[in-house]
Amino acid sequence: MLRLEVPVALPAIAAAQDRVEAWLAGQGVPPATAYRVRLVIEEVLANLCEHGRFAGPPPASRLELALAAGEVCLVIEDGAAPFDPILAPPPDAPTLADDRVGGLGLALVRKMAARIAYGRTANGWNRSEFGIAVAGRGDGAA
Amino acid sequence: MRFDVVEIGPSANKVILLGRLDSGTVGSVETAFTAAVAASGRSAVLDLTGLEFLSSLGIRLLLSSARVVVRRGGVLVMFGAQPIVAEVLTAMALDELLPLVGSEAEALARLPA
Repeated sequence: MLRLEVPVALPAIAAAQDRVEAWLAGQGVPPATAYRVRLVIEEVLANLCEHGRFAGPPPASRLELALAAGEVCLVIEDGAAPFDPILAPPPDAPTLADDRVGGLGLALVRKMAARIAYGRTANGWNRSEFGIAVAGRGDGAA
Repeated sequence: MRFDVVEIGPSANKVILLGRLDSGTVGSVETAFTAAVAASGRSAVLDLTGLEFLSSLGIRLLLSSARVVVRRGGVLVMFGAQPIVAEVLTAMALDELLPLVGSEAEALARLPA
């Protein structure tokens, strides 16, 4: 199991992703799966940085990764106002006419994760759990 | 993330993307990238062969750059995406908006004569 605390700031995301990727590689997780995990972390944390509403200075979010049967289980906890990623509305299809492109990130998360669960922790934080299927040999990227 | 620009004809540039286009890099390249892709009156071919990672923030940059190219009468074509990057583009239906082809030759064939 890997546990990380990640400050709610865009520049902090890459370092967390790199640590996760190194840990996954050490566990023998294929690169195509690691890519999906990296993408889910990216989209959830970037969304939190851009749209999360906090009562004061945002406390660092918490990441936890574990390997379960056939999946990487990623848990992200944050202290922002309640936000259920499952209920986020699907984005409109992107167009070249419209400058407002929103909602793509969470739509990507829903494509990459085979399983998403949302709840609240005892101390009132958001707790989102993502199951990312471990790709078989020959799946996806090399 | 870095990118290189190669002039490939009187009315088109090739922009080669290398590395990751995501939350960690979009902010530092977006102004220069948009300027390179959307050079006045030119079409652009994006070489994605060396693009290792693409997130929604990167997709937004590709879309906003493409918007300027098209508004100025050009065409934008992407080629050579690695399978997982192609999967992200397809999942977001971006490939329906901006052609994504396999090879540079196919991309060049899509440019206006």
